[in-house]
Amino acid sequence: MTNALGSSGATRLSGRLRFLGLALAYSLLVLACLWSLGAEGDLSLGRNPLANLAKTMAEFAHPSFLDIWFGEARLEYRSDDGTLLRVENRQQVEADYLAGLARAAWTTIRIATLGSLLGALMALPLAVLTARNLAAPRALAWAAKAVLDVMRSIHTLVFGLVLVGIVGLGPTAGILAIGLHSMGTYGKLFAEAIESLDMAAIHAVQSVGASRTQVFFNAVWPSVLPQFVSSHLYIWEFNIRDSTILGIIGAGGLGLLISEATSLFQWGRLATVLLVVIVLVGSFDAMSRRIRRALS
Amino acid sequence: MTGRSIVLKDVCCQIGGKTILDIPTLTVAQGERVAVIGHNGAGKSTLFKLLTGFMRPAHGELQVLGRSLSASLDAKQWRLMRQEIGQVLQGLHLVGRLSALDNVLIGALGRVSGWRSWTRFFPAAEIQRAEAALQQVGMLARATARADQLSGGERQKVGVARMLMQGPRLILADEPTAALDPTAAAEICRLLVDAAAGATLLTVVHNPALLPVLADRVIGLRQGRVAFDLPTQQVGDRQLVALYKPLANEPPAHWQLDLPVPVQKEKRILQ
Repeated sequence: MTNALGSSGATRLSGRLRFLGLALAYSLLVLACLWSLGAEGDLSLGRNPLANLAKTMAEFAHPSFLDIWFGEARLEYRSDDGTLLRVENRQQVEADYLAGLARAAWTTIRIATLGSLLGALMALPLAVLTARNLAAPRALAWAAKAVLDVMRSIHTLVFGLVLVGIVGLGPTAGILAIGLHSMGTYGKLFAEAIESLDMAAIHAVQSVGASRTQVFFNAVWPSVLPQFVSSHLYIWEFNIRDSTILGIIGAGGLGLLISEATSLFQWGRLATVLLVVIVLVGSFDAMSRRIRRALS
Repeated sequence: MTGRSIVLKDVCCQIGGKTILDIPTLTVAQGERVAVIGHNGAGKSTLFKLLTGFMRPAHGELQVLGRSLSASLDAKQWRLMRQEIGQVLQGLHLVGRLSALDNVLIGALGRVSGWRSWTRFFPAAEIQRAEAALQQVGMLARATARADQLSGGERQKVGVARMLMQGPRLILADEPTAALDPTAAAEICRLLVDAAAGATLLTVVHNPALLPVLADRVIGLRQGRVAFDLPTQQVGDRQLVALYKPLANEPPAHWQLDLPVPVQKEKRILQ
């Protein structure tokens, strides 16, 4: 008995020492990062960060869409000697931009929706193979798990860049990129849903003499379906956010407008685009959260 | 068919070379109420698994409800047989996300087939029967509640209602009162006995106080063998002490010395 007590004390001590060691290693890593970046002179905030910040913020505070109502109806561009070069209706220009923004937002929604569905469909058979309680052949389970892990570890943007080279610019590359990356996450969540099945309940349904199909529809399906729908909504929500950036690499949608506005330093337009992104993601979040809560 | 419900002859069950059940002969008549008792690992659950076909004996002859299980039955015949055997297991065996009523309707799956049984659009007559079954166990008011929101006692009542719905000729109840407080346990036992009217009732119980309620006959299993097989009123302290006596290879647990009077056990805990 005393032996056991002593050893548990030693285990606790060594556990604490190990945690202390990890904390020390972490602090060292943080310090090394800071020090090396500082030594290389890369830890600067630029020449006059405060002035730049103020200027950018001022433009952000004036989102471009406000010009639809408050912009000049007749903005004249003149050369230095006063000759009239071009007349622009700011209200009309910004209204057109907003219409383009709406189209881009619709493209983003389409990419996220179809990409998520594609990912879910591809992940389902792999999830069935990886779920431990279904006991698929070991080799197949490992292979499926490997595929899912690889997909999850490659970023959507990387998939997008590669796919743009294969299928060309446009939403198709975006859909495939979203599908391939989120497939990994879907597979993991679906497998967890299958693993959390209550086997006692399934056994009970079998024991009344139900056939295999009856067991599936009366015990497996009602337990698993709500979880599938819930994880689908969750990842879909994620992908709406993810696909807003895909346009940067030419895969269509809002990202194209983001990269355009940032390249031209049009912070007012970027503010408009970001507002649309926030509204889009926020409303989808709220909707999906409500449905998921109703499902639990 | 009013003859014998269960017949076992020279049945022997082994796992990994170790004999876990060895019964030379055992007969249960139709309509009889039998309790099976014994320490953990005595072979009680193995016996139940044999009777429902979830386990096969190494050798021996097994007859349940007039069907010989030793002959190779195909999946369909197993299903037909299971439809006639009602099982009440230790709690948590309902489908959590379905309502109490839907869980009771699962008992009708043996009669209803095709798309109706897949989409849970059961015929009106079956729904009425399910509601009547819920009424009988006093759970009609909770018919629409989801099973995972019911208390342990309520779940077990729904389990009994599902079994009523099934209308079996043989009922196997494996520790139906485990994890229930004494009041709920007594109520479940009463419901079970009412529900079993006309059918054969085979129960595994640990609480000797419930024996007179549940059974007319008690079979004591010890290390896979029948230690005694007596009418309930003849089962006394002597038999129970012998049955629950520590096995040769394990040290006596202090509570085993107090058996079989459960009140004493509780006193000891209260001190």
